[in-house]
Amino acid sequence: MTARLLSGPSTAAGAESLAGHRARLGDLPGRTDRAHLIGMIDAAGLLGRGGAGFPVGRKWASVAGRAKGDAVVLANGAEGEPLAHKDRVLMASRPHLVLDGLELAAEAVGARRTVLYVGSEHVDARIALERALAERAANRTSPLPRVPTMLVTPPVSYIAGEESAAVHFVNIGDPRPTTVPPRPYEKGVGGRPTLVQNVESLAHVALIARYGADWYREAGRAETCGTALVTVTGGARPGVLEIDLGTTVGELAEWAGVSASVGSPVLLGGYFGTIISGAEAWRQPLDPVLLRRAGAAFGAGVVAFLGDEACGVTTTARIMDYMAGSSAAQCGPCVFGLRAIADASARIATGQPRQDDLSRLRGWSQSITGRGACRMPDGTTALLASSLRVYDADWTSHQHHRRCAMRRGARVGA
Amino acid sequence: MSGRRVLDSGQHIEIDRISCDAYGTCAELLPEGIDLDEWGYPVIAPGNVPAHLLDIAKRAVDNCPVLALRLVKVTAAKGAEPAPPPPVLAARRPETRPDRMEGTPPWPPRPANRPAKRGPEQRRRS
Ligand SMILES: Cc1cc2nc3c(=O)[nH]c(=O)nc-3n(C[C@H](O)[C@H](O)[C@H](O)COP(=O)(O)O)c2cc1C
Ligand code: SF4
Ligand code: SF4
Repeated sequence: MTARLLSGPSTAAGAESLAGHRARLGDLPGRTDRAHLIGMIDAAGLLGRGGAGFPVGRKWASVAGRAKGDAVVLANGAEGEPLAHKDRVLMASRPHLVLDGLELAAEAVGARRTVLYVGSEHVDARIALERALAERAANRTSPLPRVPTMLVTPPVSYIAGEESAAVHFVNIGDPRPTTVPPRPYEKGVGGRPTLVQNVESLAHVALIARYGADWYREAGRAETCGTALVTVTGGARPGVLEIDLGTTVGELAEWAGVSASVGSPVLLGGYFGTIISGAEAWRQPLDPVLLRRAGAAFGAGVVAFLGDEACGVTTTARIMDYMAGSSAAQCGPCVFGLRAIADASARIATGQPRQDDLSRLRGWSQSITGRGACRMPDGTTALLASSLRVYDADWTSHQHHRRCAMRRGARVGA
Repeated sequence: MSGRRVLDSGQHIEIDRISCDAYGTCAELLPEGIDLDEWGYPVIAPGNVPAHLLDIAKRAVDNCPVLALRLVKVTAAKGAEPAPPPPVLAARRPETRPDRMEGTPPWPPRPANRPAKRGPEQRRRS
């Protein structure tokens, strides 16, 4: 497993100092031509790591094109996804990589202000970044012009990391998504074109600027080049690690000490992700392109081994309840739809289904998609649809016989 | 569907999901293109509004009590235009969001004797 972002001292050792960072990686290259930098990111083929996987270079070009030297860059370290830890680990252990990336982004798109947007629950990350900003202020070595940075800490919520919600919170303290268009790259913080970029995406930029696009493309084993941070859970050794894109789920299972038999289902991407059956999962390369082709997504880099002990229906019902509770309660289909899904799932899981609960769940898994201001309903129904597919026999047995196959056919509920 | 050729108006309906309050006026005025779900929120047929329905679509837009609807001219995408569909999600949901329930046929030709009101089974549950 190639370590790039996480090469150097162990992440358990806390934040790397500015001196350590410079000794290991050197200073950023001097002021480069803006188009050259964007061209380099483009050539590297870097995809965003906040969930949607949009090409970073293209986003920079569009913000640079409309900003006229007065853009804003927002580093997104909200990490509201309950299963993900990779952004907070990165910020807490390699704050200077994130800040290098932020400076480079500001230079490339022509920004006069930058925002570090860090989930308020990520205390270690916040402290590391605050200290790193102070170190840089006291010992300015970067060849890039100084751009003021504001640290903003949104409340704990799934939705606060959505880009229009992030802009909304920075602007008026309300962490709920807004109607788009205008999207943040058109009109964002302070009404200015705003580049919202995940912190891991920015950290990769800090290395690409030093070593070049060809170097970046040396890593990666399948269609997509580069390395990625993933959060692995469900094994004996859960944690965050850096992998070559294209590493298979089975290899990660080995790394994480997953004792479940080959063939237990895996949740990929996060609560916005997809459950895939173990039979498909073990040989599945973790590559955004190949995952998309397989009907899944890389998402926020979550690989959660669900094991063959846990009841998939109960697991899904819990996630649905979390998502319904996380809706920003603004759009009807999201408010009512996610609540209806969560309630029906809970009834089925606890052995009190109404007659048509399962068929209605199947309907909602299609009919609510695409009908919110943000992708909350889409992400949630995608996960539900994959669970209905992978755990089909379990859903049916719960609904019709009130029996849970996981508990040796025990009846569920009262 | 009939074999009649339907002329395209070159415009589609966009909805502001945050503003929409499920008044349902739009579905009453334009049942060919807007259906209501079980909570009373609109499901809009995918694609552009057929030319012969454009005037009625404009009426639906103007009559939404909270002004949540817009008719948007569909322009050819400019080369430099950014952001749209994040590739990873694109497979699942195109950025233009053709709101559509499974099985909702897109824009049927307008029947000659269009019912003034929707049938009770399609009405909103309260
Ligand atoms: C409900 C929701 C929550 C999100 N939460 C986060 C988050 O916590 N961190 C993040 O980087 N992106 C999050 N995103 C994605 C952002 O909207 C945005 O696409 C991303 O920050 C862009 O950075 P990237 O291109 O580097 O991935 C979320 C999106 C949605 C729809
Ligand atoms: S879709 Fe849901 S989470 Fe997104 S803005 Fe609307 S109500 Fe909020
Ligand atoms: S008329 Fe307006 S508020 Fe009413 S359902 Fe249609 S869009 Fe929503």
